[in-house]
Amino acid sequence: MVAPITNVGATRPRTGLISRLLFRHEYLRGYALLTPALIVTGLTVLVPCAMLVMLSFWTQVGYGYDTTLTLQNYQTAYDKPIYAALLERSLWISGTATIVTVLLCYPMAYYVAFHVHRHKMIWIILITLPFWTSYLLRVFAWKVILGYEGVINSGLMQLGLITEPLRFLLYSNTAVSITLAHSWAAFAILPIYVSLEKIDKSYLEAAADLGDGPVLRFLRITLPLSLPGVIASVFLMFIPTLGDYVTPAMVGGPDSSMIGSLIQLQFGAINNWPMGAALSVILVIIICALGLCSFGLTRAFRRWAA
Amino acid sequence: MDILDQLGAVKEGKLSRRAFNRSLFGAGVAMVSMPLMPRRALASPEDQATYFTWGGFDVPELFVPYVEKHGELPNFSIYGSTEDALTKLRSGFVADVAHPCSSDIPNWVSTGLFQPIDTSRLSNWPDVFPELYDMDYNQANGQPDGKIWMAPFEWGQSSIIYRTDLFDLQGGESWDMMWDTRYAGRLGSLATASDAWWVGAIKAGVPFAEIGTDAAFDKIAAVLREQRPLIRVYTDDTTSTENAMASGEIVAVLGWNSSALALQTQGVPVKFAQPKEGALTWVCGPMLHAQAPNLDRAYDIIDSLISAPSGEFILRDYGYGAVNRKSFEPFDDATLAAMGLSRDPNTILQAGHFGLPQSLEWNAKIVSEFEAIKSGF
Repeated sequence: MVAPITNVGATRPRTGLISRLLFRHEYLRGYALLTPALIVTGLTVLVPCAMLVMLSFWTQVGYGYDTTLTLQNYQTAYDKPIYAALLERSLWISGTATIVTVLLCYPMAYYVAFHVHRHKMIWIILITLPFWTSYLLRVFAWKVILGYEGVINSGLMQLGLITEPLRFLLYSNTAVSITLAHSWAAFAILPIYVSLEKIDKSYLEAAADLGDGPVLRFLRITLPLSLPGVIASVFLMFIPTLGDYVTPAMVGGPDSSMIGSLIQLQFGAINNWPMGAALSVILVIIICALGLCSFGLTRAFRRWAA
Repeated sequence: MDILDQLGAVKEGKLSRRAFNRSLFGAGVAMVSMPLMPRRALASPEDQATYFTWGGFDVPELFVPYVEKHGELPNFSIYGSTEDALTKLRSGFVADVAHPCSSDIPNWVSTGLFQPIDTSRLSNWPDVFPELYDMDYNQANGQPDGKIWMAPFEWGQSSIIYRTDLFDLQGGESWDMMWDTRYAGRLGSLATASDAWWVGAIKAGVPFAEIGTDAAFDKIAAVLREQRPLIRVYTDDTTSTENAMASGEIVAVLGWNSSALALQTQGVPVKFAQPKEGALTWVCGPMLHAQAPNLDRAYDIIDSLISAPSGEFILRDYGYGAVNRKSFEPFDDATLAAMGLSRDPNTILQAGHFGLPQSLEWNAKIVSEFEAIKSGF
């Protein structure tokens, strides 16, 4: 004889306190699942951040620290013109690179999302192809392209357009912006692509039915709905490039050292970790402020579009 | 399940999630168990001592005796400047042997990260020129205590490398070449203050004994500021400067013997200048970490570096002075003179300006000032 099949789990009363709590409260189950990630994040992000903030209020004495809390590092950062100037330059260089990249990447992502119907995966792989090589290799590639005897210069010379190699190509802010834009392009394309891909095509049809032309349809449907992706890509690109120091060191000239270069030096050759920490904290605050601004702007834009 | 079946399933688009997961699992187990499989019994690289040095000194030619003894090269870790190296060591990186220069020694010793070298354990020590280690830098506390903190390994000059065909010399070789406004935007310099600042002192006419004073600081900073608009690139990357020199992008650069020799070997018409004010001279060499995990092999690294064949290699291929008397035997005096070297190190070192040890605070001060100057302040 076959025993009747019963749902054992549902009928048996739950015993342990923890399993009862987990059973009753859904949010606790969520937190339980999040715990490993929270622990890792806490140990590797929050603790070092707290240490950095702490360090920025100390002062360097020889190889040790004076641990009396002081605002001296922030005062120095405010007083000496070099810090503000390098910060402004970093914002300018990485801002240009970000805007140019996002503007160039949007059409590309748009094309893949709306007009490619077969082998989408191949297109995505092609877009991420530059990422298959190391970052340094990409920077060196630009050195070869922009160099004094590089691809562009020798090409223009052969065509007879110039008689002497262009000097502003390499070791300049232009070179830094170009290299950053190319190196981080995939970070800009993918979020935009994902948000465009998610757009329900029936909205576009509805807009067309209700009499919107292609431009209005783009402005009222596609752009607002893809805005989260655009914002994400702006941040994914702007934040890491703002603190970059490798690219200016390799393709930048004397006028292109960025705030990241100075922070790196404080932790290296200059041997003033508290000052480096203070500059890093300032950088984080600026990024947060810019983030909040763009958050507000997005909401305003959404309200306008809706 | 057979691999061919799986591939077939993929081709037909019929690979089930379960089958796919199973093959992933199989691959994972294979990866994990790989190290358990029999390997050839060889000393793994962890057993070798680690040498922390500039790029270019990580070549087998310098470790012939070491390889003969241990069968493998030491491990290498590379830095770009001695300031970076010290930062890395201070934050806990343990290398058995590190490679600073004479003016760094008191600062390095004061970190407590190093131990004096027991020279009786170095078979090649008796052949080393005593004038290269009986120097101020080995007196860690300003007092001669008979301890050897740094064994000398190479010595040379920091001077101007210039294109003989593109640079129009007026009034002989001089440090004024690096301040020549006719070549604005076509000059190069080193990115670290450790060389540039001393050169600034020579140009400003500050005697090295007074380099620590505030008056000297202002004078040197002013001279370097004046130079800043003329410089196309500040870099420590000798490959970049050598390329830029070869292409004519820059016509004169502050550099070391090795760059000049490398360019000459490539057939680029360059010369390593002997400026009339005197070049900047230095001695560099290995120091022993206080907690060197492979102390015996660390001594073998040092012994390899100061051996006669290693010295001959750096003389011939890098153009640096060797510390072993025997290394000079294959060279005649004329060849050495053409390279800016001599079999009597003192004639070169004392003819130039020899970098003196300075305090930590001074170093931090000049590094930040030089950074500000480079950024245009």
